[in-house]
Amino acid sequence: MSILLLVLAAFFLPLFPASVVFNRLAAANDHLGVRLALFVLWPQIGVLLILWSDLAVAPGLIAAWALLSALLYAFRMLTVREVGRWSAMLASSAWPLAWLYALQTPGVANLVAFTLALTVAPVLMLLVCAALTTRLEAAYTGLHGGLARDLPRLSGVIVVTTLAAMALPLFPGFFALLAVLGGATLWMAIGILLTWLLWSWAGVRLLEGTVFGPRSGPIAADLTVLAAWGLSLLIGVIVAGGLAWTGGAL
Amino acid sequence: MIELQWLIPLLPFVAALLVHLLSGRPGQQVARLSVALNLVVVILAAYQLFHYIAADTGPQWAALAGGWVSLQIDPLSAIMALVVSGISLVVHIYSVRYMVEEPGYGRFFMLLDLMTGSILLMVVAGDLITLLVAWHLIGVMLYFLLGHNTEPPRTQRYAFWTFIAYRLGDLPLVLAAVILFQTYGVLDFPTLFERIAAMPDARTFMDLPVTGSVAFLVALAAFAKSAQFPLHVWLPYTMEGPTPVSALMHAGIVNAGGIIINRFAPVFVHSSEILHLLFVVGLLTALIGSVLMLTQNDIKKALGYSTMGQMGFMVMEAGAGAFALAIFHLIAHGVFKGTLFLNAGNVINAARRHDGVPNEPLYDFLVERKSAPTRLPWLMIAAVTLIVPLAILVMVHAWAAQDFFQQQGAIVLLFFGWVAGVQVLFSAYRLDTENPLRMMALIILSFTVVVVGYVVVGHTFEAFLYPDAAFRAALYSAASIHELTFNMLVVLLAIIMVLGWMGAYFTRVRRPPADEGNGSTWLILYSLFSRELYVADVCERVTARLLDLSKRLNVWLRWS
Repeated sequence: MSILLLVLAAFFLPLFPASVVFNRLAAANDHLGVRLALFVLWPQIGVLLILWSDLAVAPGLIAAWALLSALLYAFRMLTVREVGRWSAMLASSAWPLAWLYALQTPGVANLVAFTLALTVAPVLMLLVCAALTTRLEAAYTGLHGGLARDLPRLSGVIVVTTLAAMALPLFPGFFALLAVLGGATLWMAIGILLTWLLWSWAGVRLLEGTVFGPRSGPIAADLTVLAAWGLSLLIGVIVAGGLAWTGGAL
Repeated sequence: MIELQWLIPLLPFVAALLVHLLSGRPGQQVARLSVALNLVVVILAAYQLFHYIAADTGPQWAALAGGWVSLQIDPLSAIMALVVSGISLVVHIYSVRYMVEEPGYGRFFMLLDLMTGSILLMVVAGDLITLLVAWHLIGVMLYFLLGHNTEPPRTQRYAFWTFIAYRLGDLPLVLAAVILFQTYGVLDFPTLFERIAAMPDARTFMDLPVTGSVAFLVALAAFAKSAQFPLHVWLPYTMEGPTPVSALMHAGIVNAGGIIINRFAPVFVHSSEILHLLFVVGLLTALIGSVLMLTQNDIKKALGYSTMGQMGFMVMEAGAGAFALAIFHLIAHGVFKGTLFLNAGNVINAARRHDGVPNEPLYDFLVERKSAPTRLPWLMIAAVTLIVPLAILVMVHAWAAQDFFQQQGAIVLLFFGWVAGVQVLFSAYRLDTENPLRMMALIILSFTVVVVGYVVVGHTFEAFLYPDAAFRAALYSAASIHELTFNMLVVLLAIIMVLGWMGAYFTRVRRPPADEGNGSTWLILYSLFSRELYVADVCERVTARLLDLSKRLNVWLRWS
């Protein structure tokens, strides 16, 4: 039973090749609301399944599988140009780390919060994808570059979201990675750090293909001041939430 | 006055926020606001330093209520806060007019403030998490500052190189923090270093020593941030960014490696092998940086390699056990390199007015009625060149600190001081002058003044930074190697140096014709150095291969 639950969980906290299902589902739905619900709920189902199962069945195998999945998707992110697929691959790279965290037997609330912390960046990236699609008809990196010149507010949001995707301070992903590293073995730590490095590389490539470079593509309207403030507030709340969850360790 | 210490990193962040909110205002108002707040930071940092010295309260540590973030004031944080904020203020003032016609004027000042705040946070951080946050932020801010001009692809490419190199430096520090936390169970520096001193032989993954492993990881982090070979590729290409950013980077940011090594001095004191590694990597970097600097025909790249060489010396000094001297060096280097960059515009203007090409000796003789240059006998010059710097260095050090010569690290530093002194005199001999004796006497006098100043300030600085004499001695002792090996190495290096100088002298005397064929070995060496040892090319090739593999995987797995 426990093994069956673990196999099932491999679809929701996606481990390759079961992760293909999530990526296909994410690509199949264009509606923003459906996508957001999918990104938020999908990994939490995996968390529930993990909590019901017994990870002690094969901890070494699970850890290795989760790490390789995280690395594989992080590596593949380097050359993905469609922002929607990019965020799905980011999620497919980040969520397997919840398995590693679960192996350290944290509390239920901590595991849920950990998975949410790793969900924040892909969800924000979905919002960016929607904003780009609305204005430029497609959210492809390298297709309509140099947005910083004409769309400074949208560019600012893309930059901040990409920093969240790279799990840089003070975003929740940064503290989530520190939390999982705190109890990691050497090989686990090296694998996580490599994944983290690949996220950074992929993030910079995304910025180079959207925000920076010579301006190309159709004329488009920038985000309204209200929308920019709204997104800034949302990001501020997310950062504060992350700090509230992980802070106070000294 | 630990309470005031909070304001030092906080004010630049406040300045960044205000600049962002008020960036719509016309003119230079936001820049002046940023300058004013940075001036307050400098005054605060100066007050903190002088109060620390005057009150003699010793290091202090404080955390926010709830244990969110902590800061400390100790000699390293006090002196570096003043240096960083001082250099940043100069760069701010310079940028007010320099950047005024650039697009994104307000954004530039916001990023400059964020960068200043991040470096100051790193300098005063009182625990591992705060240090990691600041360490990561420095790389991010530098990326955006270097890529301030968002359109040229070259700018973005080199900003990316810097960012990735900095990320490579971030991750070892994370691993070091993980090992320290897993072993000692604390995050704050005072308790952590107490526990390390109490349990220096603790073991970690694969039964490796904790101190050695952490020192190695901290060294890796420092190598990436301070452009040590082979992680130096990004540094010469950072000139694509605005000049004030180059100044801030070469004068301040690149010194982060030296600061982090000093911060973890209580770990390095138990890690002799890693100190030796620092010495070797530093020496290699100094040599390669200097050679590459000499073979570049692009003056900006040459300046970049000059910084690389200086960073190599700084790391080498730490490897010799002279941790305080490394900080002294980075401050001195920061001041002169910052001046060089910020003065670049004046130099260009001066070059436009006067080409700087010296007159032919025949013109001087016939038109300006100057007598022909004379030279001293080479044997006399060789003796003076080799002996006088050594005598000056030994006498001044003996006067400043009697027990200085007992440490191998001190001998190493003297050796390099001697090499530098000989080089100065050797260069002076090659100058064409009417009165070579006077010229030589003046240069020896200047050298003596420099050595006296450097030694006196250096020893005072060392006593301030590391007041515990036993700890200073332990650092030198940890950096030592077997005495016979050390003596043989010094003699061997001295012989190589002297042979090199003789070779250079006789090559100059012989004056081979320009069209004389050079050996193929020299040509290969020249092409190797002029192509910067192909390190950048290899990195680009590897990058392209990895991206190609990633693309193939995506196609094979149908992008899902």
